[in-house]
Amino acid sequence: MKRAVLSCNGMDKQFGSLARELALKLSETQGTEIICPVLLNNSPDRYEKTLAESSLLVVDGCPTRCASKLANKLGLKVDDKVLISEEAKTTGLEVGKSLRLGPVGMQLIELLSKECLVSRQISVEEASAGFDSPVDFITVTHDKFIFKIPSHDYLFSENDCWVRVIGNRARIGVSDFVQQNLTDITYFEPAEVGREIEQFDEVGSLESGKSMMDALSPVSGKIVAVNTELVDSPELVNEDPYGRGWIAEVELDDFESDKEVLLDAAAYSRIVEKKAAEAN
Amino acid sequence: MTIDVKKQKIIVMPCSGIGKVHGLIAREATYAVTDELAPDSFEPMCLALLVSGDEEALAKIKKMDCITVDGCPKLCAAKNVEMAGGKIVRSIRVVDAFKNYRGAEPGTATKLADDGWTIVSEIAGGICNKREGEVS
Repeated sequence: MKRAVLSCNGMDKQFGSLARELALKLSETQGTEIICPVLLNNSPDRYEKTLAESSLLVVDGCPTRCASKLANKLGLKVDDKVLISEEAKTTGLEVGKSLRLGPVGMQLIELLSKECLVSRQISVEEASAGFDSPVDFITVTHDKFIFKIPSHDYLFSENDCWVRVIGNRARIGVSDFVQQNLTDITYFEPAEVGREIEQFDEVGSLESGKSMMDALSPVSGKIVAVNTELVDSPELVNEDPYGRGWIAEVELDDFESDKEVLLDAAAYSRIVEKKAAEAN
Repeated sequence: MTIDVKKQKIIVMPCSGIGKVHGLIAREATYAVTDELAPDSFEPMCLALLVSGDEEALAKIKKMDCITVDGCPKLCAAKNVEMAGGKIVRSIRVVDAFKNYRGAEPGTATKLADDGWTIVSEIAGGICNKREGEVS
């Protein structure tokens, strides 16, 4: 399959310039077709054929993630993503602040262009082995609302995110309380696969007509998968927040330390009771 | 509080043209102005940031004058700045600069040749002269 690259092509920050350089490098060395983000935004029809025939790599320079936002806005299927600022951090290369491509920046681009970027993405199916939807719940009732909380296997943070751990891998999502408060979720922005995160770093964001929310990881580690199904079907979080509506999977770093501040179902149910009462 | 508008910087907004030499010239001309020739008078802004709806960029474009530098006649930069409610004090098209250099060999989308750099200098110089004209 052909490959196309949508780069943020940013020019007022060094990482944006590097995103552009990576797109050009991939075009030169691997024949990847370049998609101009602004032209795509103005005339999406122009790239209709390219996008239909290619797997899409999105390259963002900085955490503003303009290219990813455009891809989401246009409903494009993204096969892989690179965030240059994060890659620079991971590799330990200090690229400096110059908007021109210096030797260190060049080294980073060489490194990234040689990686088989698509192969870094772990398929949802592979990553998801062993995680079944919960069966038993405890409930918190407030007025006409009933909030469900899985009674086993899940831990929670005070900011209403859950984590379920199997071996060295953790699955993360948001609670039933969150999905009911957001009401109909219309937009999901996933985190970057491969990114190292600290406990309570963002692992994706959800938006509804009512408000938006960043999902904060209850654990630290490396993001090894994101639920790409949510990009097209964010309503899965409403339908099944503890199952098909999961948000990300993380290879654990120091779970023993992380879980010291996490809550079991009983403790979290008290938090939900309190929040529900305060909401009225 | 009053603001001395003459001291306000002007945004220089090139198109995000990638993969074409005209886009590269627009970009390099912007860098020449904002990095080297007159960094105190001009600052660059990323067009992708604007079209992706960044609130800070949208607010800024409404407050500051803007010079757009478009590679091709599609005028992506000028059109998007206008759509965002920005005030364009000058709209430059790289293709127009080529009219003075018939037969020029500007280079490629990734590397400019001597003719390409000459056109970059002309565009960048023109932007700076505009500002000087305003201030004096």
